[in-house]
Amino acid sequence: MRDAGFKDGARAALPIVLGYIPVAVAFGVLARKAGLTTFETGLMSLLVYAGASQFIAIEMISKGISWFPIVIATFFINLRHLLMSSTLSLYFKKNRFRTLSLLSAQLTDESFAVAMSNTSKISNRPSYLFGLQMTSQLAWIGGSIGGALFGRLIDHKDYGIPFALSSLFICLLVIQIKKVRHLWVMVIAGISSILFKWAFPGNWYILLTGLLALGIGMAIETARRDKR
Amino acid sequence: MRISILILILGMGIVTFLPRFFPMAFLTRWVIPERVRVGLGYIPIAILSAIVFPILFFNEGGKVEIQPHYLLSAIPVFIFTWKVKSLWASVILGMLVYWGLGFVL
Repeated sequence: MRDAGFKDGARAALPIVLGYIPVAVAFGVLARKAGLTTFETGLMSLLVYAGASQFIAIEMISKGISWFPIVIATFFINLRHLLMSSTLSLYFKKNRFRTLSLLSAQLTDESFAVAMSNTSKISNRPSYLFGLQMTSQLAWIGGSIGGALFGRLIDHKDYGIPFALSSLFICLLVIQIKKVRHLWVMVIAGISSILFKWAFPGNWYILLTGLLALGIGMAIETARRDKR
Repeated sequence: MRISILILILGMGIVTFLPRFFPMAFLTRWVIPERVRVGLGYIPIAILSAIVFPILFFNEGGKVEIQPHYLLSAIPVFIFTWKVKSLWASVILGMLVYWGLGFVL
């Protein structure tokens, strides 16, 4: 996979790296505090690679909760990836199973959003997505291990670090808005996500908002066809 | 390494892999109807909105409450990105504004 696509993708991952490292360091610090070894911390970032769930797992471990409820919680938190994976599948026809499983294993909200910010670059170019995702996950693993080893020396609540990933998401959202229609999707999704979060516990609101957008999009397209 | 932690990590690894993997592995082998394709096209904006907006209007305890620190940091990032489409410049700007506001608020 060492071609132009990989390098291109790795370069596109830079903003994610910038956002991930501080968060991963924070995760490393908290994981050690909860009693995980540095190796276990790194292994979790390698095999699980899901920010929110990892933080929640650490929280639950430190409360003495056993593995089963943590795994169930993790499953529900990450169901939102179903929709992102479905959307990405549009761009990867005719790829081998092995390629697809590697690509999907490293899917995150952030890499998905960066990939979608320029779909002409990912369309049937697995090497680009590999570069993007591999670089992002390396930053995540590196940051976790770094945090587990030296984290107590840094104050991760300072230097605007809590806002790093939020800025990345805002930026990715703005990039997606190319037509007036997109602005409406943002407004409707924004309002409904707040209502969903208010009405339902946990983070179901992300999946629900995605499903709502999928439904509305399909309805509009059906209506448009009937007119023709 | 403790066995309970290993089970935990493997379990979490499996349940995070499945929703990432299944659509990608199987939808790529189907011909997706145009209607669904259009609907899927709305998902990135919807998901990103669903990540961003609640951050601005919920406190850490999950209660509805305007977050002035986040809101005032988000607006300049929003405007800046609108004009300059640079991801990492926006991230740095957002961090600087948030950090600066920390001294004022």
